[in-house]
Amino acid sequence: MNRLPIPRLPKLCGGDIELGNFVLGLPGRDTGAMASRALLAEIDGLPRQQSVHYTPYAGSWSSYTCGRSKREDGDDPGGGEANASGGWSPQDWGRKFLPANGGCIYIDLDHLELCLPETLSAWDHASAWHAMLRITRQAMDSANARLPEGRSIQVLVNNSDGHGHSYGSHLNFLVTRRAWGNLIRRKPHYLGWLASFQASSIVYTGQGKVGSENGAPEVAFQISQRADYFETLVGTQTTFDRPIVNSRDEALCGGWRWSNDPDAPARLHVIFFDNTLAHLSCVLKVGVMQLALAMIEAERVDPALVLDDPLAALGAFSHDPTLRTRARLAAGGEMTAVELQFRFLEEARRFAAERGFDGFVARAPEILDLWGDTLLRLGAADWPGLAPKLDWVMKLGILQRAMSRRPSLTWDSPAIRHLDQLYASLDPGGLYWAYEQSGFAERLLDEERIQHFCSEPPPDTRAWTRAMLLRRAHPEWVDSVDWDSISFRVRDGGYWPSRRTIAMKNPLGMTQAEVAPLLAAESRFTDVLEALESAGGGAGMERSVQTVN
Amino acid sequence: MRQKERQDNTPPSGGGGETGGGLDRLREQADRFLAAGDEAINRALASSDSETFLRANRQQGGE
Repeated sequence: MNRLPIPRLPKLCGGDIELGNFVLGLPGRDTGAMASRALLAEIDGLPRQQSVHYTPYAGSWSSYTCGRSKREDGDDPGGGEANASGGWSPQDWGRKFLPANGGCIYIDLDHLELCLPETLSAWDHASAWHAMLRITRQAMDSANARLPEGRSIQVLVNNSDGHGHSYGSHLNFLVTRRAWGNLIRRKPHYLGWLASFQASSIVYTGQGKVGSENGAPEVAFQISQRADYFETLVGTQTTFDRPIVNSRDEALCGGWRWSNDPDAPARLHVIFFDNTLAHLSCVLKVGVMQLALAMIEAERVDPALVLDDPLAALGAFSHDPTLRTRARLAAGGEMTAVELQFRFLEEARRFAAERGFDGFVARAPEILDLWGDTLLRLGAADWPGLAPKLDWVMKLGILQRAMSRRPSLTWDSPAIRHLDQLYASLDPGGLYWAYEQSGFAERLLDEERIQHFCSEPPPDTRAWTRAMLLRRAHPEWVDSVDWDSISFRVRDGGYWPSRRTIAMKNPLGMTQAEVAPLLAAESRFTDVLEALESAGGGAGMERSVQTVN
Repeated sequence: MRQKERQDNTPPSGGGGETGGGLDRLREQADRFLAAGDEAINRALASSDSETFLRANRQQGGE
C-alpha cells in the first residue's frame, strides 16, 4: 500500500481555564455568581453592549447588568444577564476579549474563565497564563476595594472545592484533521497511547490535593486535583462522566466540526490537566503535550506504551505520592508512572534525533532536557530538588511542615484543608506566591515576558491582529468577536452602519510580521479593514501545513 | 471529601543523586523552604477561620 504524505501543523496552544471564586464574609450563601460577576466587571475588554457593573451597597450586593436581554427564570443573582450574542448562557456569559493581549475572559457556570491568547511556545503559553493571573488579581483587588469591611472575594487557582465539585483547566492544541481522526475516530491504540501518556504525566503536572472526592478510595494526599473526576476514556462531555481524552470537535478555524480534508485544521480540546503555578509544571504540561501530539500527528505511536486500563492507572498513580505504584501495560508487564514516562521520553528523543519536532514544536530540545531532568529527579526521589519546581511536591512539603510544627494537625484538620486551598489563592496570602517571593519557587519564566503579556499579544499568532483591531476600532463599532473572526458595525459616512467581518481562520496567520506593515500604512480604520479583507482574512492554512513522507 | 488519617503515603524525605556541593545547595534550599513556609503558614492560618473559609468555598462543578 502506498503511504501518502502526512500533513503536519505547528503545535499552537491555547487555554480556557476556570478559577474557583467566592465571597468570604457572607455566611450561608452561594456566592460564586456574585464573585465572578464582580471580578468580570473590573476587566477591560470588548465587546460589551452595556458595561458590566455592580453596586455593592453597604451590607448587600446589588445589580449587575450586561448584554441585551433579561434572564427569564427569575433566579438571577445579579439582576439580568445575557451573553454577547444576546441570549442567556450560563456557560458563556459576558465574554470580553482583551485589547491588551488578544485573550478573553468570561463567566462559565459562575466561574471566572480565563482564555489565553494563542501561542506557539510552551514558555509563551506559561507566561501568558501568569499574565492573565496578574490581570485577574488586579480585578480582585479593585473589586475587593469596593466591598464593605469584613468581606472579600477569594480567587483560587485550583480545580476542586473539596465538596465534590470540579472545574476545568483546559488546553487547546492545533492538530490536523487527519491526526484528530486517527486519535478519536479510527485508531484505538492512538487513543490508548495518549490516555496512558496523560495518566502518567501527573507526576509533573499535578497540583496536589488533600483527600479524595467523587467516591474514590480514601487517601490523605494525592498528586492530581482532577484524577478522581475522570470516569471514562473518551467522550465529548466535560461536566459529568469526564473523559481522559475529550472528543469535542470544534476547530475554531473558520469551519464548524469535521471536514474530510486531512490537511484541514482541528483543535484537540484537552480537559485532563490541573491548574498549575510552578513555572516548570506549567512549561512541561504544555511542552511535553506538544511533543506527544506532534508524534501522534506524525503517526509515530508505539502501542507497547499503552496501559491496560489508563483510568484505573490514573487513580492509582494519583493516590500514591511515593510514586511506587505500578500499572499493567496492555502488552504485558508493569511500570510505575515515572518508568512509563521515561519510555515516552525515549520515543520522543528518537523522534528528535530524526529532526521530527523541527518546525512543529518550539524549543523542543529544551523541553526534552527539562522533561528528562525532572524524570531523573522523580526516579531518584529527589524531593528537596523537586519542591521548588513542581506544584504537588511543593504543596506536600508545605503541608508536612505545617503538621510537623503543629502536632495536633492531621490530614483531616480543617486547617490542613484550608492550607491546601490557600496554596493556590490569588490573595497576597497565597502560599505559592509567598514561596515565589521568598525565592524558593524556581522561576523558569522571564519576568519581562510575563509583564509583556499583561499588555501585549503574542506576536506570532492571529492573537496579535485580534488585539490590534480591538485597539484601533471605536468601541461602539465592535459587534462581535470570536477566535476566528471579528465583526464591526462601521459608521463611515453613510446613514446606516455597514457590517464588516474580518475572517481569521488560520491561527498561525495574521501575525505581527504579516499585518503590522499594513496597519502602519493605513490611518483610517475602514481602510485597515479593506486592506485585511483584500489580504485574504487570514485564510491560507495551506501555507502552514507541511507534509512529511 | 474523603480522607485518611496520616497514612504512610508521603514521599521519603531523603534526596537522591546529590553529593558534595549539591548537598550544600539542598541544605540551602531546605532552609529557604522552611523560612518561607513558617511565616506564610502562620499568616495564612491567622488570616481567617479555616472552617468558615472551607464552608464559604462552595463552587459549581464547571467547565
